[in-house]
Amino acid sequence: MRSLFNKLLAIVGSFALLALPPMPAQAQNATAVISPEQLAKIHAGNDKCLACHSQAGVEHPPLAGMDLKKLRTLIRDADAFYASDHQRLSCTKCHNEGYDDFPHAADAKDNTTTCSDCHSKSAAIVDKQFANSVHAKNLSDKFTCTTCHNPHLMRLAAKLGDPQKIVAQDNRVCLGCHDSDEQFAKFAPEKKSRPLIDDIHSWLPNTRLHWKHVRCVECHTPAVAAGEPISHEIFNKEKAEKNCVTCHSANSALKTRLYRHLVKEEEHRLGFANSIILASSYMPGVTRHPLLDALILIAFGATFFGLLAHGLGRIIAHYIRRRKNHG
Amino acid sequence: MADREYLLSPWIRIWHWTNAVLIITLGVTGMSVHFADPNLPLVEFSLAVRIHNIAGVCLIVAYSFFVIGNIVTGNWWQFVPKPPGIMQRMIEQTRWYAYGMFVGEPHPHTPSKEQNFNVLQAVTYWNIMYLLMPVILVSGLVYLYPEFAPDTLFGFDGLLPVAMLHYLSATAILLFLLSHIYLGTTGKTIGQLFKMMITGWHEH
Repeated sequence: MRSLFNKLLAIVGSFALLALPPMPAQAQNATAVISPEQLAKIHAGNDKCLACHSQAGVEHPPLAGMDLKKLRTLIRDADAFYASDHQRLSCTKCHNEGYDDFPHAADAKDNTTTCSDCHSKSAAIVDKQFANSVHAKNLSDKFTCTTCHNPHLMRLAAKLGDPQKIVAQDNRVCLGCHDSDEQFAKFAPEKKSRPLIDDIHSWLPNTRLHWKHVRCVECHTPAVAAGEPISHEIFNKEKAEKNCVTCHSANSALKTRLYRHLVKEEEHRLGFANSIILASSYMPGVTRHPLLDALILIAFGATFFGLLAHGLGRIIAHYIRRRKNHG
Repeated sequence: MADREYLLSPWIRIWHWTNAVLIITLGVTGMSVHFADPNLPLVEFSLAVRIHNIAGVCLIVAYSFFVIGNIVTGNWWQFVPKPPGIMQRMIEQTRWYAYGMFVGEPHPHTPSKEQNFNVLQAVTYWNIMYLLMPVILVSGLVYLYPEFAPDTLFGFDGLLPVAMLHYLSATAILLFLLSHIYLGTTGKTIGQLFKMMITGWHEH
C-alpha cells in the first residue's frame, strides 16, 4: 500500500514551490474567485478535520479510541494552510473517499487525490525535468512531489513576492534534508553518509550568507531564459553552477530566477542598476550605479592621461633645456 | 651639508612597502569584484573575494602597526604642516609641479629629518592616512561582518551606504596611488625618491 501511495505521489507534479508554468484549467478553476459564503462553508468543513488534526485535537481528543501517537504525526497548522496555495481548498478536495467517518476507511489513503490530478499539464513538464534530476537517479522510488513541496504549506514564489520569504521557504526544503543527518538518512542509500553542507560549499565565499539571500536552486538547476520557470532538474555538485559572475554581474542570472517576478517592476531607483535586487541585497557586481562607475572611470582616465601628459611634458622640456644649454 | 642623509627608519620602509603591496592587491581584487563581468575577467570572482578578505585583514594589521609606530616614534609630527606660511608654501609647491620643474627650477623643498614631507605631501598624506584609511578599513570590516550593517535603509539593503563609502574611499586612495607613484619620479633623478624609500637615505 505504501508503495502504491508512493507511486501515486511520484507522478504528482507541481505544487510549484519553484514557480511553475501556468496552471492547467483544472488547477486554475480551483483557485478561481470564491464567494465569502463558499469560503466560509469550506472553512467550516475543514474545521471538522482540524478538530482532530490539530494540537488542540491531540490534547483534547474529540472522539474516543483515537491513536494519539499516530495523530500527533498528522497535525496540520490551520494558519499556515490558509496562507498556502491551497488555502481555498477543502481538505476533502484531496482527502476524499473514506475520510467522511471515523475511523477513516482502511484504503482512504490510496484514494487521496494526486498532484497531477489537478496539475496535469505542469506534471507532464516536471516529470521530464525530474527524470534528469540527481534526486531521480538513486531515489526515484522514495522521491515524490510532496517530498519537497508540502501541499499544506507551500506558496508560489510569485505570490510570496518578497525574495527573502521565497528564499526562506525554498531553502528550508533543501536544507531540511541536506543539513540534517536524520532526514538525509530517510532518503539516502544505505551506507551513504551525509556530506557536511559547509564542507562541500567551502569554495563558496560567505556560504551561509548566500543561503540567507539566494536559493540553493539558483545554482543547482539549469540556466533558464527570461520568463521561463525554474527547472525541476536538480543538479549535483559536479553540474551545479560554480561561475560566480553568472549571478555577480550587471546582467545577473538572478533576474531570470529569484527576482524574475519583480523584473517588470525595475525602475532603476536613484540610478542604480538592478534596484529590485538592491532593495533586499547589496550584491557586488550586480547592484552597481552605472553613472557613478562611469564618472569614476573618467576620473581614473583623466588622472592617468594627465600624469602621462605631465611626464611627456617633462621629457620634452628636459630635451629643450639640454639643447639650449649645449646650443 | 652632507651628500646624503638617513631619513627613513626601517619600520617606516617596511610598513610603506607592505602597505603598497596590500593596496595594489586590494585594488586589483576589489575592481575584479566590483566590475565583475563574464566578458571582463580580471581575477576570478571567488578567488578575488578570498584574496581581498585576507589582504584587507592584513591591511588592518599594517595600519595598526603604522599608527602605533607613529605614536611611539613621534613620526606623526611629520604629517602636520608647520606654520608659518603654509599657504604660501602650498602655492610654491603647486607652481613648481605645474611650471618650475619644466624649466629646471630647483625643488622648493629639501627633505630633512625635521621636515621630511613638503607641505602638499603632509596635507595629502594626513588626509589619506587619518581620514580615508579609517573609513575604508571600518567599512571593509562591516563588509566582512554584514550582520552589523542595518537591515534596510531608505528602501535599500542597509549594506549599501557601507559599500558606497568603501567604494568611494577606495577610488580616492587608488587615484592617490596613481599620482603618488608618478610624483615618486620627481626627485633629482627619476629613481632618487624610490631609492630613498628602499634604502632610507636621501641623496641631496
